[in-house]
This record gives sequence, structure tokens and C-alpha cells, in this order.
Amino acid sequence: MTLTGRVPLLLLVGLVPVVLRPSMGTVWTWVLLVGLVTALDWLLAPRPSALEVVRRPPGTVRTGTPATSRLTVTSTVRRTVRAVVRDAWQPTAGATGNRHRVVLRPGARTVLTTPLLPRRRGDLLALGVTVRLPGPLGLACRQATLDVPGTVRSLPAFESRKHLPSRLARLRDLDGRAAVRIRGQGTEFDSLREYVRGDDVRSIDWRASARSRSVVVRTWQPERDRRVVLVLDTSRVAAGRVGDVPRLDSAMDAALLLAALAARAGDRVDFLAGDRTVRSRLRAAGARDVAARLQEAMADLEPVIAEADWSGLAGEITRLGRQRALVVLLTPLEPAAVREGLLPVLPTLVRHHRVVVASVKDPALGALVDARGSLAETYAAAAAAEVVHERERAARVLRTLGVDVLDTDAERLPPALADHYLDLKARGLL
Amino acid sequence: MRGWWERHRTMTLIGGGTVAALLVAVLLGTGARTSAAHDPDNPDGTGARAVARVLADQGVDVEVVRSAAELEDTEVGADTTVLVTSPDDLGRSTARRLLAHADAATVVVADPGPGAVAALGVEAEGIGSVPDAPRGAACTDGGLDALRGLAVDVDRATAWPTTAGCFGGPDGWWLASADEGLLLLGAAGILENDQVLRADNATAALRLLGQDRRLVWYVPDLADLGADDGVSLRSLLPPWLLPAVWLGGIVMVAVAWWRGRRLGPLAVEPLPVTVRALETTHARGRLYRDAADRAHAVRALRRHTRVTAAAHLRLPEQDTDALLRDVARAVGRPADEVAALLADSAPPPRTDDELIHLARSLAELDREVRAT
Repeated sequence: MTLTGRVPLLLLVGLVPVVLRPSMGTVWTWVLLVGLVTALDWLLAPRPSALEVVRRPPGTVRTGTPATSRLTVTSTVRRTVRAVVRDAWQPTAGATGNRHRVVLRPGARTVLTTPLLPRRRGDLLALGVTVRLPGPLGLACRQATLDVPGTVRSLPAFESRKHLPSRLARLRDLDGRAAVRIRGQGTEFDSLREYVRGDDVRSIDWRASARSRSVVVRTWQPERDRRVVLVLDTSRVAAGRVGDVPRLDSAMDAALLLAALAARAGDRVDFLAGDRTVRSRLRAAGARDVAARLQEAMADLEPVIAEADWSGLAGEITRLGRQRALVVLLTPLEPAAVREGLLPVLPTLVRHHRVVVASVKDPALGALVDARGSLAETYAAAAAAEVVHERERAARVLRTLGVDVLDTDAERLPPALADHYLDLKARGLL
Repeated sequence: MRGWWERHRTMTLIGGGTVAALLVAVLLGTGARTSAAHDPDNPDGTGARAVARVLADQGVDVEVVRSAAELEDTEVGADTTVLVTSPDDLGRSTARRLLAHADAATVVVADPGPGAVAALGVEAEGIGSVPDAPRGAACTDGGLDALRGLAVDVDRATAWPTTAGCFGGPDGWWLASADEGLLLLGAAGILENDQVLRADNATAALRLLGQDRRLVWYVPDLADLGADDGVSLRSLLPPWLLPAVWLGGIVMVAVAWWRGRRLGPLAVEPLPVTVRALETTHARGRLYRDAADRAHAVRALRRHTRVTAAAHLRLPEQDTDALLRDVARAVGRPADEVAALLADSAPPPRTDDELIHLARSLAELDREVRAT
């Protein structure tokens, strides 16, 4: 039972009889009267079952872009129903203006829309629909919270997509390049075309020129149909926050940019996320919307407080295909984790694939090394220097194994990884 | 001792001053002294000590009583005048006790408020005024002939329109005879120390109070009031107020119920675990500090500076001697100095201050190398 503001107002009106006939008896009589009227009003209020609430799934949006939650409310009783309906979502779903006043004639229905603005990645839950139905006098209300499940799937924000146009332009530059200067075993013969000024003379195909009336050059296109395997580490090391963003989210950003780029370049992208077990897996063979599908696969990934089982993950990578691939391991360069988990499985991987380790570096670590103000800061600087040293040593060990190591800030990692990929592609090293 | 004095001088002076001030206050404050108006022990302007002393000097037996029980212990006969000051402290019960005990005597009540007048059972409404001229006696009461021909001059007076009295005017009597042997003194200023010398005030006061051999000066005490005393706040308030306050309380409960009921449960967020990536590094720093491992800390810092310098100058870092030489040449410092800073063989700092100093020197060297 819920009261409205009219009950205290009605009680206050009791001042008139109290002044006219001042005694405590008057007070109690009035309170009893108001109580009886309120109870009667509550009894006459429609039951919450008078409303049928159905949710239309709000679907999937990128984090930080608006979505809409829609509720269809139908009246099931033969009288006009007034109600207040609250569509509650978890706070990071960003539901604003989620209280709706409804007046429904018998059998009528209405659609209530609540704007959402997800601020967090993952599946954001609706917490139930609360309906409050006042009685005919508007003194008391029946109130109930109906369980109307719903989720809005909030995809990774893909902030780094702003880097995509420039990288695609670089990719086009690689395409149809006439020069042979950087021709490697991976570049593929594309076509013959007439020589134009500016082409490298070394790319002239003399044999073809002899058969035609003009000078003909060979053009090359970058290799296509290679495999890119993105491996996202969701273990404890990915839970650490750099600034306010978990490393996992920064790694996702980098993976999305690389996947979008590789898909445009005609490569096949496979995705794997896991720690002790595989959490998510996606085989997107040459699909155009690979970034969207990847976002979907990443949406509900959360770091777990467990060590990654790299031998298991390596087995999964092998199971994805035996063809040589670019394997991108998105894992922080955490010395202990690398030494004990990753290092033992790398030699086998490197033998079959080209392996890149992309790690999110914490810029605060550099600041910590340079801070020498107090005694505490000096010791912290010493510890940070130690950590920096260990990271460098781990990176060096990986490089000696033939692994490419990218260790940069969260914002610079996606473009750096994309550039590295383009570099490998241009050199035909995929 | 001298050092202690230097350190605690201010506090000692303040403390000593406070104690001295308290002592003076206590010593000067001893003796019967009050600040109540018309009190026989009050020497201030509004007190009545002068009148009390003069009456005593004139041979009147002045007895001061300060509670109802004390009053009842005092013999009050026909040859006694009872003066009641601070009568607003009279309740219905104390007034009843006073009138019953002083049945035979003349009771003079100085400057009673409406509550005291009602408590004494007198049905008259006092009219307050600020007179600008003295008022003549003009008595109609037979018992007050002694006051004839006198004029009193007070700052503030209350007049009661009773049937008889003295110092009458259009608004009533300043000394009103309310009942047999009960006088209300509206011009109580005649008792006050600073007004007693005006006009015939002193004479009027002495004649009024000195008619009889004895004067019982009754100062009522609030502590004597019984629970059934009608002169409470309640009797002065409108009768509907208390029920209205109750109703107001019930309204507040209703408001709390109205506002306190939420529209559905709180929206809760499943919160993620927040792990700062640098947490282990900070913890390691604290560990070094707790262990006071200066040698280890300085080794890590030196190695860091060497590695960055080697990377910047594009030199192999394994060959420490050559690196130190090149760094010294690059920054233009003596080789010994650079070696003392950078070489692992240099002695570790002995104190925390030395450690901080060395760490700062290393950072400085780092900056110099980067500047080349």
C-alpha cells in the first residue's frame, strides 16, 4: 500500500474540526475517518494484474550510443486505469525519464519508450517494471514490481575506428603497386599494364613488351586470403586498469581495428578469447561486417581472476586451421605471466605461424619511475624501474623467439597494431 | 625548568589568568545577592535593598522569606504586613497557601503580572502605562489614610480598575485594594533603589510597608509550584493547540509514509572488480621501503638510468665501463662523478636522505643524457 500526497493534505484539513471542537477525541475520530477512506480507496484500486506489460527487445548498440527501451502496456479490465509505470534498468544502462504516467481506457494499449544510453560494455539488465495504481479517490495506491526481463547488449565502443580510413588508404596504396622494390614471396602477380612515367623501370616485363607495341609493366597486389587469428587474453592480467579503462577493453579496441582492416584486405579473421577455457570464438571467413560480428562476440567478455592456460589456447589456435597465419596475442606483457604461461608454448606457435604480441602499457609506470620526491616515491620508482626492466627483458626474450612485440599506450596500440599488420603485408611476410 | 617555562609560557599565563578571574568572581560573588527586581538583597537599580534597610533601621522587624514552607513557619498575625515581590513566580497553589497563611495580615503584592493576579483570585485586568507626571494619592480606601497627600513618580506603572485604592487615575488605581487585606502595588517603582528618592516615593514606601510592627518580605520560589498549578504555558494557549499539534504529528507520519515509499526497488549495478594495473608495483615499492633495502633500490634505479642512457646513446649496455665513459663524455661531467652515480660497484647510500639525493641525481643525469 502506498499513500499519495492527498492523505496528509486530508489529515491537515482536520484542523478545522479540531479548532471548532478542540479535543483529542476529534483528532482520533478524524484520523480514523481518513484511515477508513484511504483503506477503502486502496481496496477499490485496480490490481497490478490489470496491466499486461510486454517488452520489445531493445537489441544491440555500441557503448555510448543511444538505444530505446519499449514497453507495451495493455489494460485487461473494463474500466479506465490510471497508473505510474517505472521501467527500471541497471544504472549504467543510462535510462533517463523512465517514469511514465499512463491513462488507459478499457482494453486500450500504449507503448512507453525510455531512452537508454549504455555506458558500460556487456549485457545490461532491465530490473523489472514497477506499476503504481491509485484508487478512485487518489488517496492510496497498489504497487507491484513485475518481472519483465530484458537486456540491452552494449558492444565495445570501437573508438579506434577513427584510424580505419587512413589505414585503408595505405592498404589501397599497396594495391596495384607497380614497384618491385619490396616484392617478397607473399606478393602476388596481378596484371600487366602499359608503362607510365614514374613506374620503376625494373618492373618492366620485357617479354610482354616484346609482344606488344608499347612498354608493359607487371603490377603486383598484396597477398590475399591469408589468415589472421586474434587471441584475446581475458585472464587476471587483463583486469588491470590503465587510467579508468580495463586493459581488456583497450585490447578489444586494437583487435577490432585490425579485424576490420584485415577483412577489407581480403584476409580471413578468426577470433578467440579465453583464459582457463575459451570464452568466445568466432570464425569470420571473409565477411564484410566482421567488425560488427566481432563486437557481438566480445560484448559480454569480462576478465576473470584466473591465470591463462596458454597451452590450451595454443591448442585451440591450432584447431582453427593448420594454414600459416598471423597470430596476434592481445595480452599484457606481465613478466611473471609471460614467463610461466606464454613462453613454453611460443616455440611451437612460432614454428607454424607469425606471432605478434600486442600489450597495453601503463603510462603511469613511466611517471612512477621519474617521481623521486619523497622516500616512498623513491622506493616506488625503484620498484617501477625493476618492473620496466623485467618487461623489457620479457619483450627481449619474446623477440629472440621470433615474436614481434608491440608494447604501447592504450590509445596508440590499435594504430600501431594496424600499421604493423600493413607493414607485414607490404613485405609479404604473412 | 627554564626550557619548560619557555615552551609553556602562553598556556601557563592563560591558565593562571583564568584561575585568578574565577577566584575574584567567587570571592566577590559571596553574600546574599540577587538580581531579581524588588528583591531586598538586590543593591542594583531595580532592587529594593535601600527600602529594606531603611525599614529595618526605622524599627520595623523585616523578615525575608524565600519559600512557601519558610513563610508558613513564620508567624503572620494582624500586626504584620506581607510584601510579595517577584509575584510572577506565584502559582495557584502557592498563592492559595500565601492567602490562607496571611489571612489576618495585610498583603501587598508588588507589580503582579496577569498570571499572578489570576492566581491570587482577583478578577481585574491591569493597564500598564509609562506615566510622565507624578500622581497624587487620592485614596478611597480607609486603611490607607497614611498615604494621603503624597505623590509618587515612577517610570512604569500598572493600574487596576478595582473599587478602591490609592493613586487613582482615569485608568484605575496604582495601589489597588483587590480584596480585604490584599493590595496590588502597580507603582512598584517606589521600592526600587534608583527611583526611591523621587517625589514622595520613599515616604509612600515606608508608610505603606511600615504600618505594622513586622514586615514579612516574601519572595516566592518557583520550586514550590505543584503539578496542578494552573499558571502553566498550557493555560495561556488556545485549547485547540495541543490536539492540533497531535494532528500535525500524525500528518508528518503520513508525509513520511507518502515520501518514503519508493517506486520499486533500488536499481543495482553489478560492479566489476577494479584492479589498478600499477597496484603490484606500488606494493613492491612499499615492500622495499619496509625492508629499508636501499642497496636493492639503488641498484634498480642505476640499472634503469644505464639502460635508458645506453638506448639513447645507442651503446651496448653490457659493457658498463665503456658506457660510463661515453655517458661522462656526452654530458660533460668527470668520469669519476658519473661512475659514483651509475656504477653498481659504487657504495650504496647509508641513509634514506642519501638514497633520495642519489635518486634525484640519477634522474638529473637521465635528463641531461636525453638532452644531448
